[in-house]
Amino acid sequence: MKNESTIIDVPAESRSAMKGSAPLIGEARDHTTSGSSGYKRGLSIFDFLLRLAAIIAASVAAGTMFTSDETLPFFTQFLQFQAGYDDLPTFQFFVIAMSMISGYLVLSLPFSVVTIVRPLATAPRLLLLVLDTAVMAFNMAAASSAAAIAYLAHNGNQNTNWLPICQQFEDFCQKTSGAVVSSFVSVVFFVILVVLSGVALKRH
Amino acid sequence: MAKESTTIDIGEPSTVTKSTNHDVVDEKKKSFVTAAAGGGYKRGLAILDFLLRLAAIGITIGASSVMFTAEETLPFFTQFLQFQAGYDDFPTFQFFVIAIAIVASYLVLSLPFSIVTIVRPLAVAPRLILLISDTVVLTLTTAAAAAAASIVYLAHNGNANTNWLPICQQFGDFCQTTSTAVVAASISVVFFILLIVISAIALKKH
Repeated sequence: MKNESTIIDVPAESRSAMKGSAPLIGEARDHTTSGSSGYKRGLSIFDFLLRLAAIIAASVAAGTMFTSDETLPFFTQFLQFQAGYDDLPTFQFFVIAMSMISGYLVLSLPFSVVTIVRPLATAPRLLLLVLDTAVMAFNMAAASSAAAIAYLAHNGNQNTNWLPICQQFEDFCQKTSGAVVSSFVSVVFFVILVVLSGVALKRH
Repeated sequence: MAKESTTIDIGEPSTVTKSTNHDVVDEKKKSFVTAAAGGGYKRGLAILDFLLRLAAIGITIGASSVMFTAEETLPFFTQFLQFQAGYDDFPTFQFFVIAIAIVASYLVLSLPFSIVTIVRPLAVAPRLILLISDTVVLTLTTAAAAAAASIVYLAHNGNANTNWLPICQQFGDFCQTTSTAVVAASISVVFFILLIVISAIALKKH
């Protein structure tokens, strides 16, 4: 077995100076990932900001649907003269779902902060990705089922004799449609969040 | 400024040692061992991914075709309601058939990428592509399934406040068939979530 020896001079300076001038012995971590932790931290900050935006979108959707009551100033023989979100079970589901999603987003903010502080940790990112995927599907379900009912309220269905109620309840229809659009915006935010977590997870 | 000297031996050890020696050959051996071990479980995840995709293809094709053939003609006339019901009477069901068919064809097209991840378990690019496109297609699937579910619920129960009558009381078979299609699409949503989680676990470094 052939042995080679080499003598390396180690200057006994302060720890911080050693880190700056002697990178071969100063770094405690693998220095090849220091560049990737920078861009991962940037992704985490973007993730945090997107979460804040999604909180706003989801809570606006829930609030608009919740306050979409309308009372007509006149009586009609066949239709009720009041319309609210609780007249349609799908809209009830929508309000409850968007409230739960807003709550989840608020609770996930600490995990997002953890990924900013520790950009190289994979456990918080993986947890966020899995939860975000499930909540995104839940959000999409609420949004699209409410969209189907809103479409029906706007257009009705001739084959089943379902009359469009928007001709009487214009304000109600406008508010519910706005709530559905806001919910779709929050779905888009979730898609970007999931893709961000996936990109930040991969090895570099 | 005091100086310290240290001597580092660069040799060729016969066994893998955990000393502070900077041995290039040792590093190569260690990295190869960890790569092979990482490739093992990642390959298992890739195979599971492939099988899940095959199952999802079956289910989505089933859901789309069941909804497509969900027709019923009543043997009698009624004054107010049409005596025929088909998927094309509901725009939401039309959207369902088209969207689930698109999802099924996407799954078929994504099978080669899944095979690539089996063959090269450590490659990152195919997995990332699959993760991103799976996320987008998940939203499409969930949209179709949920919208059709809300119409099916309305067909079963109607709505007293808006005077929408439940049609299932006349069209029992049609309602059953469409409900089956919606359930199948919901199962495919669960498969998609599993696919995304598998891709994410396989992506993270080990």
